[in-house]
Amino acid sequence: MPARPVVKRLPARRGLFAGFKGNVDAITIGLKYLVDPKRITLIYPNEYIKLDPGYRGFIVLEPKKCINCSSCARICPAAAMRMIRRMEEDPKTGKKKMKLWPVINYQRCIFCGYCVDVCPTEALYTVPYHDIVYENMAEMDWGLETFVKPPEYPTAKEGIPVKYIVDEEKGLVKVRAEEGEEE
Amino acid sequence: MSVWVYGEQKSELGLEGTITRKIEEDLYEVFIGPQHPGSGHMRIIIRIDGDIIVEADPDMGYVHRTMEKLAEGREWIKNVPLFERMAIQDACNVTVSYIIALERILDIEPPPRAKYLRTLLCEINRIAAHLYGFGIFGVFIGHSTMYMWSFADREVMVELAERLTGARLTHSYPIPGGARKDIPQDFPQAARKAVRYFRRRLEEYRKIFLDNPVTRKRLEGVGIIPKKIAAELGVVGPVARASGIKYDARLAEPYDAYDEVEFEVPVFEEGDALARAWVKFEEIKQSLRIIEQAVDWLERHPREAPIHDRFWAKSPPLWKKVFEAEGRVKLLPLMANMKLPPGRAMARSETARGEIIYYVESDGKSTPYRVRIVSPSARNAIVFKYIAPGYKVMDLPTIYGSIDYFPPEADR
Amino acid sequence: MAGIIDLILSIIFYPPIYQLVLVGLTGSLVVVIFIIWFERKATARVQRRLGPYHIAPRLAGLPQLVADLIRYAFQEVIIPRTADRELFVLAPIVATVLSILPIAVVPLTSNPAYWPIPMDYSILVALALTTVSPIFLIVAGWASNNKFSIIGGVREAFVITAYEMIAIMSILSASAAVLTFNLVEIVEAQRIWYILLNPIAFLAAFLSVLMATSGFPFEIPESENEVVAGPFTEYSGLLYGLNMGAAYMKRFAFSILMVLVFLGGWSPYTPGEGILSGYLIPSLIVVAKAAILMMIFSLTRSIYGRFRLDQALEGAWRLVFPMAVLGFGLALLEAYLGVM
Ligand code: SF4
Ligand code: SF4
Repeated sequence: MPARPVVKRLPARRGLFAGFKGNVDAITIGLKYLVDPKRITLIYPNEYIKLDPGYRGFIVLEPKKCINCSSCARICPAAAMRMIRRMEEDPKTGKKKMKLWPVINYQRCIFCGYCVDVCPTEALYTVPYHDIVYENMAEMDWGLETFVKPPEYPTAKEGIPVKYIVDEEKGLVKVRAEEGEEE
Repeated sequence: MSVWVYGEQKSELGLEGTITRKIEEDLYEVFIGPQHPGSGHMRIIIRIDGDIIVEADPDMGYVHRTMEKLAEGREWIKNVPLFERMAIQDACNVTVSYIIALERILDIEPPPRAKYLRTLLCEINRIAAHLYGFGIFGVFIGHSTMYMWSFADREVMVELAERLTGARLTHSYPIPGGARKDIPQDFPQAARKAVRYFRRRLEEYRKIFLDNPVTRKRLEGVGIIPKKIAAELGVVGPVARASGIKYDARLAEPYDAYDEVEFEVPVFEEGDALARAWVKFEEIKQSLRIIEQAVDWLERHPREAPIHDRFWAKSPPLWKKVFEAEGRVKLLPLMANMKLPPGRAMARSETARGEIIYYVESDGKSTPYRVRIVSPSARNAIVFKYIAPGYKVMDLPTIYGSIDYFPPEADR
Repeated sequence: MAGIIDLILSIIFYPPIYQLVLVGLTGSLVVVIFIIWFERKATARVQRRLGPYHIAPRLAGLPQLVADLIRYAFQEVIIPRTADRELFVLAPIVATVLSILPIAVVPLTSNPAYWPIPMDYSILVALALTTVSPIFLIVAGWASNNKFSIIGGVREAFVITAYEMIAIMSILSASAAVLTFNLVEIVEAQRIWYILLNPIAFLAAFLSVLMATSGFPFEIPESENEVVAGPFTEYSGLLYGLNMGAAYMKRFAFSILMVLVFLGGWSPYTPGEGILSGYLIPSLIVVAKAAILMMIFSLTRSIYGRFRLDQALEGAWRLVFPMAVLGFGLALLEAYLGVM
């Protein structure tokens, strides 16, 4: 078995000079960062993170693909997705028929992405943002009309899109995301 | 000790209810929490004599959410997002053992790729959770730089987790039989960079925090838990390992890929707050090693769906197309109310704060019959009662921070 | 016209008024606002964040503290029913006023026309005045009638016993070296700044001032993780602001004293005649030096955590106190050798 316990000892520090060295080390590190801060702050409303396409953000329905199967509503752990009934005319036969459509309640959604993963026709997709403010709770309960188009993302209008990339020196580096990159 | 009810000795009446103990005349009773900058969602009632704590009473349960009961009303897979909320910085670690228990009931074994993916996320989570712990610890002893630094660097790990799973914190990543997403193409490179960054950064942490004479003085010899007492109290995780107990769930019962990767389990014997901090510090180093190995393994092996054939072999072609394109493992609609065969299983995993145990019982329905969770913080909370007395009031945050107690996890 | 200006100038620059009101109250307010901003900014830099920013991005958030002050001023002052009303309100006010009192008795120039008091024993008077204000912190804690406040107040009392002796010993070592209690003579005697001749005493004084003003790593009475905000737990609004400001004002007063004793006062400038060159410029030099000293004090916040109470006391008595004694001895040796 490769894992093994290893008994270690605390680094000893005795005597006057150990304390002295510790202080000097700590102060040196502090001054180093005072001179070169290596900040990673995101100045939020002025800048915003342009998330990767794989991010599990807001969920949107493509009604053309949906086969009204209710799988998404069944798997939703927060009961955010639910099915509503709608009388609809069948384009071929012209008969009126009851159809089930998923709607989502963003008061409850926890963005687990199960619904997207379970949908048998990929009728649901995620958009890579999730910081949208609503004026009241009722607005967060999307009807079918809202659910079929991506929500407006007001932050994107005001701020500069940035991206964090992992860097060896600074941990995370903030770079400007290219405008008009893939949507 | 006699029991006093509302100031009078009424124990012989067999009264139950609020039992108050008469405070000794010269003791000062201080309520630390629940609305106190130095407590979490909990209260510690301490009685102090001068500056010495003579009695400490952890009063837990402020964030109790009846998770075990809630779980009984939800379908199997829906419990994953629920249990994650015990410790969201440690999401994969706290849920992976629940999934393992389910897999035991289902009698399936996830493919190796899924195991490595889970291990990868577990270790990313472990580092993030340890950094979180360090941050809180830092601010508890007044070291705000440590707080800010570790929260900033935790962001690196959160970023990695986001690229891996699509969510920053509540990943809901493991599913019965596998994992939900494969690594993106550029992930190994980013992960290696992050590992190298952390190696260098940990040295700076050591200098400004662990080896800082002020911090060291503050931590050394505080909250000593001798090995024997630690075993008797049943503490787990870094608290136990700092007292010289060589116990780690990854060691005792290797799950996922832990029997294939190579790593050490650091054990210290001093048992004080400093040793506990060092255990976590050394564990971060080991987690970095595991991340490297897991990433190497994942790169070397062909990309195939990290899920058991039972949920994949019969899946429609769209499933495979999505996996090729995005690395996303689509779930079969039967996952939603999958019925498990009757049976019971137990599984454990090592979270950042210690070992978490799930006992899962199924009676053949689509919801669990019983899920019992023993979380590490619940087991470590006892330290307050038996270890804190005898130390100074100012040692309480040190003890609190060093055992990295996390109320939502303890209260469940 | 000229007569009126002269009159106004002579009133403004009447030493007690100038030093108490202009340097002491206004000057310290400005310096304190700047220092708190600097402290927040410097700490933010070390901690890899921005610090105050949004209130005026061009000025790097400098007016943040003014905004805070205005907020404090308009916040409701809540006086708990269980508190001792009069003392509760008075204590922070008196503490603030008393903490700038030492500034009113130190010389800011060598020109005798602009001395606020006779200078023969000025170092003793200034040191004596620094010891008055802490008692009101304890009073504040006691008057709040809250467990955390009282514990905080008691801690303050402990810390006072530790730092006072050290502060006095280490600062007085200068007068031992120059063989005078006259601050002006001490300043004038420093051909080489006294910090270079006696770094031990300076270090001891530095640490004791950190202790006196709750700087890290000695931020013990207000340590929020055990005692919430120590003596100030029950305070709100302006009174809380005063309490917080008092510590910085005290640090400013101590810094001025330390500048005079260790950092050569108004040197390299030689005060001449007249208000401008005799009073204004040297006093500004002293204030500027004090501000720089305070900036150094602020850096400790980002590097250290806090000591435990008993460790701070132990450190003070076992390490810093002998240091102060050693500094004093060194001063006597220097006096014997006639270095200064
Ligand atoms: S993301 Fe999760 S919580 Fe939200 S609607 Fe989908 S399944 Fe429900
Ligand atoms: S799972 Fe997909 S196809 Fe089925 S109802 Fe939901 S969105 Fe429509």
